[in-house]
Amino acid sequence: MCLRSRNFLPGVPEMAQQPTCSCSSTTGPAGPTRIIFPCAGQANTGQLTNLAAIQLTEEGYGNIACVALLAIGAEGLVTNAKKADEVIILDGCPMMCAKKIAAEQGIIPGQHIIVTELGIVKSGSGDYTDKDIETVVSAAWEGSGRPETTGKNGKKPGPGGCGCGDSCGGSC
Amino acid sequence: MVTIEVLGTGCANCKRQMSNVEAAVKQLGITAEIKKVDDMAQILERGVMILPAIIVDGDLKISGRVADVPEIKKFLAGGA
Repeated sequence: MCLRSRNFLPGVPEMAQQPTCSCSSTTGPAGPTRIIFPCAGQANTGQLTNLAAIQLTEEGYGNIACVALLAIGAEGLVTNAKKADEVIILDGCPMMCAKKIAAEQGIIPGQHIIVTELGIVKSGSGDYTDKDIETVVSAAWEGSGRPETTGKNGKKPGPGGCGCGDSCGGSC
Repeated sequence: MVTIEVLGTGCANCKRQMSNVEAAVKQLGITAEIKKVDDMAQILERGVMILPAIIVDGDLKISGRVADVPEIKKFLAGGA
C-alpha cells in the first residue's frame, strides 16, 4: 500500500481523524483473539507462567484462561479455545502438562513456551523476579514459541498461507 | 539497506513492536535503519490511523497490532 496516496477524508472533522492506539482496546482493532493457558504449576517456573499470563492479559495480548477448567473438558472453554485465532500455552517445565491437557481436548497451540527453555531454572524455592516474568512475557510477544510454519490454532498454513488448516482449499 | 519505521506514541504495545523489529533484524542479520516515529504530526503525515504500525521502505506492513518476530522476518525477507 502506497502511503502517498492516503489522504484525510473530506468532510470528516480533523479530530476524528487522529490516530488511535490499539493499546486502548483488549487486543487491538486488528489484533487476533488469543487465549492463554498457563500451567500454573507449583514450582517457581509454574507460578511464573501464571504471572506472565496475567501480565499478558493486562497488556492486551490475549486473555488468560484456566487450565484446570480445560482439564475437566468444560464445553464453553473448549469451544472458545477452538474458536480463538490463537491459543498460547505457557508451560513451566518440559513435563508440558498444559500442552498435554490441551491436546486431550483437541487443542493445538499456535505458540507453546516452556519457561525452562528461556534460561530460567526450575527450583523448589518458589523464587522469581520481575525480570523472569518479563522474560516469559517478551517471549510471547516475540512469538518465540511459534513454529514459523504454524497457522491458525497451530494448524499448518493452507496453500494460500491463510492458516485455516487447508479446510478452505485455498479460497480464503 | 532497508528502512524500517516503527510508528507509535510510546505505549507498551509500541515498545513491544520496536523490540520485535530489532529482534527480527538481528535474527535475519540484515542491515537496516530502524526509525522510531512517535511524533503525531509525522504519524499523520504517513496516513496511519491505528497504532502501532510498521512501514518498510515506504510501504505500510502492519497497523493496529503488534507483529511478532516470525511475521516481521517474513515481510522483511520479502515474503509478504
